Amino acid sequence: MILSYIYTALIILISLLVQGHSSFDVVRIAGVKPDLMFIAIVYLSYCFGSFYGEVTAFVSGLLHDAVSNSPLGLLTFPKVAVAFVVGMFGRSLFKNNILTTSLLLFAASLVKGFLTLFLCYVFHEASASSILSIILPESFYNALLAPPLFFIFDKIFERELEREGYM
Amino acid sequence: MEFIIRHKSVVAFISFTLFCIISLSIQSSTLVLTLEGVISAITMPFQKAYDGAQGGVSRLWAGFTELTEVRDELKKTRANLQKYESMAGEMSELKRENDRLRELLGMKERVEYASIPATIISKDPDNWFRTIIINKGSGDGIKVNMPVIAYQGGQKAVVGTVIEVRGSISRIAPIISPTVRIGVKLQESRFPGLLCGYSGNSNLCKMDYISRAAYIRFNDMVITSGQGGVFPPGLLVGTVIKSYSLESSAYQRAIIKPVIDYNLVEDVFVIKKDLEKDLFEIFDEDKEKEKEQ
Repeated sequence: MILSYIYTALIILISLLVQGHSSFDVVRIAGVKPDLMFIAIVYLSYCFGSFYGEVTAFVSGLLHDAVSNSPLGLLTFPKVAVAFVVGMFGRSLFKNNILTTSLLLFAASLVKGFLTLFLCYVFHEASASSILSIILPESFYNALLAPPLFFIFDKIFERELEREGYM
Repeated sequence: MEFIIRHKSVVAFISFTLFCIISLSIQSSTLVLTLEGVISAITMPFQKAYDGAQGGVSRLWAGFTELTEVRDELKKTRANLQKYESMAGEMSELKRENDRLRELLGMKERVEYASIPATIISKDPDNWFRTIIINKGSGDGIKVNMPVIAYQGGQKAVVGTVIEVRGSISRIAPIISPTVRIGVKLQESRFPGLLCGYSGNSNLCKMDYISRAAYIRFNDMVITSGQGGVFPPGLLVGTVIKSYSLESSAYQRAIIKPVIDYNLVEDVFVIKKDLEKDLFEIFDEDKEKEKEQ
């Protein structure tokens, strides 16, 4: 299991650095960039269960909040909530294939987006236009990237998942 | 204890949720800010290392691929240099004439500010916030509210303003962010307005409170007015791409395309300019009045 922790830490750190680097702006479509870290969290919750996903979501959410200009907790809570739900019901609702993986990420990104919007409304600044300008495009983008990234993560965690009896 | 272990995911979810809600409720407290600072300090070396490594690889690759381009550019640059050298004498003469006329008219002298060059090491990883992190901080003399400019396409223009400073990094809010507001004016007609980001993820800005008497044309240049005390006057901001009158308002609105492309900017200059003192005094007086009431 120790290898899983190391891989998880590396994936989270690399996705945060890549996502935050100025050159990553090149991949913006309709003004948004994909949330690689979130895709990784959904994958981990889906494969390793709720608790593993929640802890990863909490730690990576805090890192995300510290690097971003958001108040501490604003980007953490939606990730934790999605990790909890995906870990609880993900495997029973979605089977691991290209279409369902995209659907899972699309639904998860929508939930994350609306939770972030709600928290922005309560604790920060929010505009309903964010639904069209951020939430929907980002959900589509994440859904599009989910199958290839899930494939890569499957390869990385293959042995660990087999050993732990998740496969 | 057994209950907690059996339901650890529910317990973890409740604990993490409580942490987030408490942290959001007391977001301006020293404890939360310190915690954020500590986490930020942990990630900062990785950001710097990644930026350094990425930059190194890009430079190495560029060394192989861009040699012919560099040779052509060198030729062009040499030709330009000769042209600019001949202009320098002309410019100094114009400057002297300008200074003399300003003196005759009793106008205030234009202040030249020193600037600190910096490199962007990271941008906000999320789509909800748009900030830039640079590799210079309080140790280099950077303070909150200092204006930031950059050069792109041979033009010097506004990037944003410093909103957070730590030891060796600073955070900049770009002008495309809806939270940044700058006093600007149309360069030709001199009508003033207030500029802020158009929306959360757009690369455009909007200029509000422009008088209905103003005739706004496509491609009109927008410059800083110097009002507000943050930006020096006369800095290039962007060009007008659209304008319309608001039905419910006595003003016009213009949509501005910034000169500096947020997605492409890599190096910036922080202008060493503090907020104007008289503004601080006004704020202090207001605060004192509020206290008295």
